[in-house]
Amino acid sequence: MIRAVGKPLEEIIGMVQNFDRILLAGCDGCVTVCEAGGLKETKVLGSALRLYFTQAGQNKVVDETTLTRQCDKEYLAQLGDRIDNYDAVVSLACGAGAQFMVDMYKHKVVFPGVDTCFIGVTEERGWYTERCQACGRCILADTGGICPIARCSKRMLNGPCGGSEGGKCEVSPEMPCGWQLIYDRLKTLGQLDRFEKPVDPKDWTSSRDGGIRKIMREDLRI
Amino acid sequence: MRLQEKLEAKEFVVLAEMEPPKGVDISAAVSSAMSVKNAVDAFVVPEMSNAVMRMSSLGGAMVLANKGLETVIQVCCRDRNRLALQGDLLAAHALGIKNVMAVAGEDISFGDHHKARAVNDIDLLELLGAIKTLMSGKDMAGIELKGAPDFFVGSTVNPSTSALELEIQELDRKIAAGARFFITPPIFDIAVLEKFQKRLEGRQVFIIPTVLLLKSVGMARYLQRHFEQVHLPEEFITRIQKAPERVRECVQIAGELVAALKARGASGVHLATIGWEDKLPAILATAGI
Ligand code: SF4
Repeated sequence: MIRAVGKPLEEIIGMVQNFDRILLAGCDGCVTVCEAGGLKETKVLGSALRLYFTQAGQNKVVDETTLTRQCDKEYLAQLGDRIDNYDAVVSLACGAGAQFMVDMYKHKVVFPGVDTCFIGVTEERGWYTERCQACGRCILADTGGICPIARCSKRMLNGPCGGSEGGKCEVSPEMPCGWQLIYDRLKTLGQLDRFEKPVDPKDWTSSRDGGIRKIMREDLRI
Repeated sequence: MRLQEKLEAKEFVVLAEMEPPKGVDISAAVSSAMSVKNAVDAFVVPEMSNAVMRMSSLGGAMVLANKGLETVIQVCCRDRNRLALQGDLLAAHALGIKNVMAVAGEDISFGDHHKARAVNDIDLLELLGAIKTLMSGKDMAGIELKGAPDFFVGSTVNPSTSALELEIQELDRKIAAGARFFITPPIFDIAVLEKFQKRLEGRQVFIIPTVLLLKSVGMARYLQRHFEQVHLPEEFITRIQKAPERVRECVQIAGELVAALKARGASGVHLATIGWEDKLPAILATAGI
């Protein structure tokens, strides 16, 4: 799932300070799972903003709501009857949700309430790590199910780079070397011959480099 | 260093585009350049234009510079990050390159290496800012340089765009970032350029229009159809169609455009002959240069 972290309070105050009626819109999707922009975080942010503005002697309305998802129109549409009660919205969804809100409510100022970070997993509560960079053409079958694009610092497809030390990446001793992980895994699977077959330079057209991406599923659109 | 001096002295300058080869055989580029060296003030060496892989601008420019020719190199953010860009700029200065032009660079998908990953670490305005920073003696990380480079800096501007307001805003930002000369896309309708120049009053910049050598009716039609903003008058196409010697007519049209631009007080001209560099002497002769 998408992982995000809440933006610092000061940054959000900076964005909304010139608006009097502010709606905070959380999302029940990914950002709830990583505890960055769900109902709980939206309420906490609302309380913090109200406290700040009250102490600063500023009379503002700060309300909270959450939507099932902000990346689907039917849920965003639920804001339709009340969004005009507000001058600005802070979306605590990922960047996709916040932008979809902009698409739907073209005259409304929408601010991001979180920093969207990556597609990752929950190692433990509050500890998330990246696993996928959505390159659009999955190579996991060739790399023992461990993605070097997401997990090797140099994004090498024919690693390792030679700088790995004790299984850690040369960029930081905190990081496991992606290629050590791949090697260990392929060894376990008896597939070390992968190292004898260098892969060709990757086709990045399916990644962001091919321009703005879209998926068109004709089978679903009939 | 003729280019900056001549522009500042309000003399008409002639730039010629000299595409480096796709390969290492530089003989054609060198002999074309040498054949017009007395009439051309500097050779603009594109940085893999249209995202087609070929010899780099800096490399191509050095080949020409070694023959005593003045060059304008292009720097572009598509293929290099801020380390590589700054490193190349330092190298360029140390190798004697004086003129640098920051360009946006076409998207990788337009070129011949579609599968490549674009860099775009910084953008065009940030690149101009980086050049200015280097010239002030520091790098983008704020670290003092051992010897600062000095460049005559340029970029691009499009007088034919339908979004003129935006283009002028962008131009002002480029000027603020240190650009002093601007090369336009091909201009066939001088009125478009003059209208644009009127809008620029008060700005201390040199606008250098590109005169593109039409090579055939097909090419002209293609430009008309696919590049609406190019404003290619039908009259040119008719002239080529009716001419007994079409190539000569193409040269004639380009030469006339150069002469007309000169007569109307343009800062100079940038000649693009895309592969027909051997026609440069004839174009210049037609223009009376
Ligand atoms: S040490 Fe391992 S993870 Fe780090 S850059 Fe080298 S190969 Fe990639």
